[in-house]
Amino acid sequence: MKTAAQQPKFYQTMKFRRNLKHSIILFFLIAGSIALLTPLWWMISMSLKSPEEIAQFPPTFIPEKFHFSNYIEAWSTGPFTRWALNSVFLAVVGTIGSVFVNSLVAYGFAKLKFKGRNFWFVVVLATMLLPGFVTMVPQYMLFSKLGWINTYLPLLVPSFLGSAFFIFLLRQFMMTIPNEFIEAAVMDGAGHLKIWWHIMLPLTKPALITVAIFAFNGSWNDLLGPLLYLNEEHLYTIQLGLQTFKGSVQTQWNYLMAMSVMILLPTVLIFFLFQKFFIEGSNISSGTKG
Amino acid sequence: MKKKKTLSLLLSLIMLFSLILAGCSGQNSSGSAEDSGGKVTLKFWSFWGSETRRPVIEKMIDDYNKSQDKVVVKHTFVPWGDIWTKNLAAVAAGNPADVVVTDINDVSHRAKNNQSTDLSQYFDDNMKDRFYPHLWETVLYDGKPYAAPFNTDTRLLYYNKKAFKEAGLDPNKPPTTWKELEEYAKKLDVKKGSTYERIGFYPLWGGYGAPSWMRNADEGKNFLEGNKIAIDTPAKADALSWLADWKKRYGKKTIEKWDAEFANGQTNPFVAEKVAMYTDTGTFYTQIRDSGKDLDFGVAPIPAYKEGGRNWSDGGGFVLEVPKGSKHPKEAADFIKYMTDVKAQKYWAEKNYDNVANKEAAESAAKGMDGQEKMVYQASIDNLKDTQLAPIPIQYPDFMSRINPQIDAVMLGKAKAKDALKKAEADVKKIKRK
Amino acid sequence: MHQQRPRENVLHGIDSGTETISGKPVPVALKKSKTAGKQRTENVNHVQKTVTKSSWLKSKSLRENLAGYGFISPWLIGFFLLTAGPLLFSLIVSFSDYNITSEMTFTGLDNYKKMFTADDLFWTSLWNTLYFVLFSVPLTTAGAIFIAVLLNSKIKGMKIFRTIYYLPAVLSGVAVYFLWMQLLSPGTGLINLVLSWVGVEGPAWLFDPNWTKPALIFMKLWSVGGGMLLYLASLQGVSNTLYEAADLDGANIFQKFFHITLPMITPIIFFDIITSTIGAFQIFQEAYVMTKDGDGGPAHSLLFYNLHMWNNAFEVFDMGYASAMAWMLFIIIMILTAFNLKFSKRWVHYEGGDNK
Repeated sequence: MKTAAQQPKFYQTMKFRRNLKHSIILFFLIAGSIALLTPLWWMISMSLKSPEEIAQFPPTFIPEKFHFSNYIEAWSTGPFTRWALNSVFLAVVGTIGSVFVNSLVAYGFAKLKFKGRNFWFVVVLATMLLPGFVTMVPQYMLFSKLGWINTYLPLLVPSFLGSAFFIFLLRQFMMTIPNEFIEAAVMDGAGHLKIWWHIMLPLTKPALITVAIFAFNGSWNDLLGPLLYLNEEHLYTIQLGLQTFKGSVQTQWNYLMAMSVMILLPTVLIFFLFQKFFIEGSNISSGTKG
Repeated sequence: MKKKKTLSLLLSLIMLFSLILAGCSGQNSSGSAEDSGGKVTLKFWSFWGSETRRPVIEKMIDDYNKSQDKVVVKHTFVPWGDIWTKNLAAVAAGNPADVVVTDINDVSHRAKNNQSTDLSQYFDDNMKDRFYPHLWETVLYDGKPYAAPFNTDTRLLYYNKKAFKEAGLDPNKPPTTWKELEEYAKKLDVKKGSTYERIGFYPLWGGYGAPSWMRNADEGKNFLEGNKIAIDTPAKADALSWLADWKKRYGKKTIEKWDAEFANGQTNPFVAEKVAMYTDTGTFYTQIRDSGKDLDFGVAPIPAYKEGGRNWSDGGGFVLEVPKGSKHPKEAADFIKYMTDVKAQKYWAEKNYDNVANKEAAESAAKGMDGQEKMVYQASIDNLKDTQLAPIPIQYPDFMSRINPQIDAVMLGKAKAKDALKKAEADVKKIKRK
Repeated sequence: MHQQRPRENVLHGIDSGTETISGKPVPVALKKSKTAGKQRTENVNHVQKTVTKSSWLKSKSLRENLAGYGFISPWLIGFFLLTAGPLLFSLIVSFSDYNITSEMTFTGLDNYKKMFTADDLFWTSLWNTLYFVLFSVPLTTAGAIFIAVLLNSKIKGMKIFRTIYYLPAVLSGVAVYFLWMQLLSPGTGLINLVLSWVGVEGPAWLFDPNWTKPALIFMKLWSVGGGMLLYLASLQGVSNTLYEAADLDGANIFQKFFHITLPMITPIIFFDIITSTIGAFQIFQEAYVMTKDGDGGPAHSLLFYNLHMWNNAFEVFDMGYASAMAWMLFIIIMILTAFNLKFSKRWVHYEGGDNK
């Protein structure tokens, strides 16, 4: 900035060009935001309506009367606090596991030359290809044999044993990191565990954040896992709780939508907060690269 | 040095978490069948978890638990639809619940595949007398009961009396035949320019679908009676082209538009007074009641194909079943007996305004009602004698997947009814199972 | 420092003795190997001993091997403990009439034959799925890159935009499908309303067999935020100096995008294409929820491969056939992925060098 100020003419054209560019980008972004947010507005709007208004035809875009109490009522129809805490526990522990374990495994695949690496990597990819339905029942039987039914183990242990999707993702990111960093560290006598911790993790921060966000959301939104493996309601998650509004005969749309909005909030918050690290990560990465 | 410490700290934290988990998991899984005091604990899974249904079912369970001192029933809500996937996995793993709520139409399908328990040794001979016969027949496989009917429903024709008056029709004379239905509908249509303000009747809206109308025409004969195929019959073909004619009359655009409008189940076209006649179950009354509108309506049986024909209707329902592998089938059967007995069934009927499988309970519940409530409930009970279920044929469990696209083709004007049904019959024959 | 010894042993299996806690370089093998013989043994327990005896080169490769397997061991454990068994089970089952709960008689290739001869819906479902893959994968990939590039601009308030664009990706469950049914409603839905502003009469979407699949693709585009996040993360790795250099050369936006940005994110594009192809082939939930009880929609236009498979497995209880279908899909995607992997060498650019 300082150097630019010393050359006002150049600075002015740059500023003009930058502003023009930014305005175009902003235009696109705002237009897109409206398109993306309208469906969400429907959701919020419905969460604030009375059952009578929901049944009205044609549907109203803005509620005639705002029933904020729907949120409290929906929450108090069941032990939602308990269910939410269960979900938080599962999501947090699962996310920690996912981030560390998958990055370890990905480091192995991306930067270590070992016999059979390509073979095992193909196996990793292959595990993603088979639709889960056909392994669902045998997997359930396996967990049942282990005595894991009605515990959180089937939902958490897999997070600590790596997932193909995240391994592949992190491997791709790690492969963009120049080998010189590692070679230099090896020359200095650093072990791979140390390289992984001191070099790889900081350099792939944006990717790790991405994995953390995905893992958190994956666990937070998981319905099938808790549904299959948990048999007692005090262990249930909030997604299972949400299902109580959906019945065989009637659905309580206003409560369902209110709860959906509340379920959405933590994930949005996490994303918003994690972005900070995203930017920090970028500084480190471009700093070391530049 | 410092970083190393954080690493080890993190790793040990993770270990700790796993340990805690392993710890609490051990506690949870050990809480098995034998309760304190030597009581047997029965696991009961239902999808009745809503604010309205849960208190009712839990009160019934509570009453049962208090009624004797050998068994404690523990209720777990499992989401609608997914409950059967979970049940299947649990049966496969040999670790199922003791009683599960399932769909009446696939009781024998499940029994054949060894997923449920034969209850004949636990039920005495007069057990069947408490239920409507068509329900009891459906829970039999090889002549043995594999479940007990719990609740049921039946389709009725709801009609808007105000609209009848406006159109110059007698509000106390609902249509009784298909022909009358057509005549009435034309009179009840309200058109403004090229768009419909109100549609008199469209047979495919509501709870009575194309297969139901086709069965109604064919003297109540299903597509498959047991495993005998009756798809390509003149009456069914006639019914199908009759349905296509309705769509032609209102126009493809109108129908598709209205289809989409009401598909999500949030708004109902009859309650919104956009449709003057509509087919739905007895319980649909609660939706009219809760809409807050003072809708003046009547109910009638589904019109018959020809004058003097029977007013065939369709039904469904849920049963209580003991999954294969339950550790306490005897106690489970005892609980089922209680739940299908008059007292419990009457309570369910009254609190949920639902049709129940127990005859005596249904009649007695109706006696305690009045006004519109009683009118609809009594009509639904009376309708049960003409109501048929659609049990899944064991050799052709997925036969509808071959018939549906042919029905769609006719409705889209892409095929003639006769040809479509011929094709459907041929396709269904191809998927016969052992 | 007194902690040093035990820890060394703990880490031993993983980084095979190259360094210890102090952070001080300890090239054990390097020093000792100068005087070492050339014997080698496979026994892991004797690594330390053998390292001292083997040549520097050989011990290095052994150490790399051990380190490699050490790093991927969590996944290997998971694979052998939790994944491999069920996978193998489903393969075996695909040659039988397994009904999940009782029967399991070996039937040879019957299930595979049935797919090609008796089951017309197999082809319907395969065609529907291919249609969906063919359109949704390129569209969502391009859309995600485009949005990510826009969101990577350094403008104030970008954090909020990013959150907005990511939002739809986190929404899941019935609520979303319900919203879309309402939005796509031809009469009162917003989409046809917007179309009518530009003089286009929108179709009946989910109720017109010709428009059901486009409707679903449209839905997928809405939740493109997940892919966007991937690209956003990978864009953080593109060094600013490259752009500055290009600026000096007078490159315009498009040149910069095609010559700098795009090549730098090819590893992630590659990842995205492979995983979203797999995901698109396995589309299920949308069709299951948005058609009545998963019946496949009007004229079976939404009967996707996985939906048909699901119906066979959990409605008909023909898990044998469903497993055969699953393995057929496995082969189809495997061929596509192998092709992708092979072809990737031409266009995927890894900064990390020689790896693939």
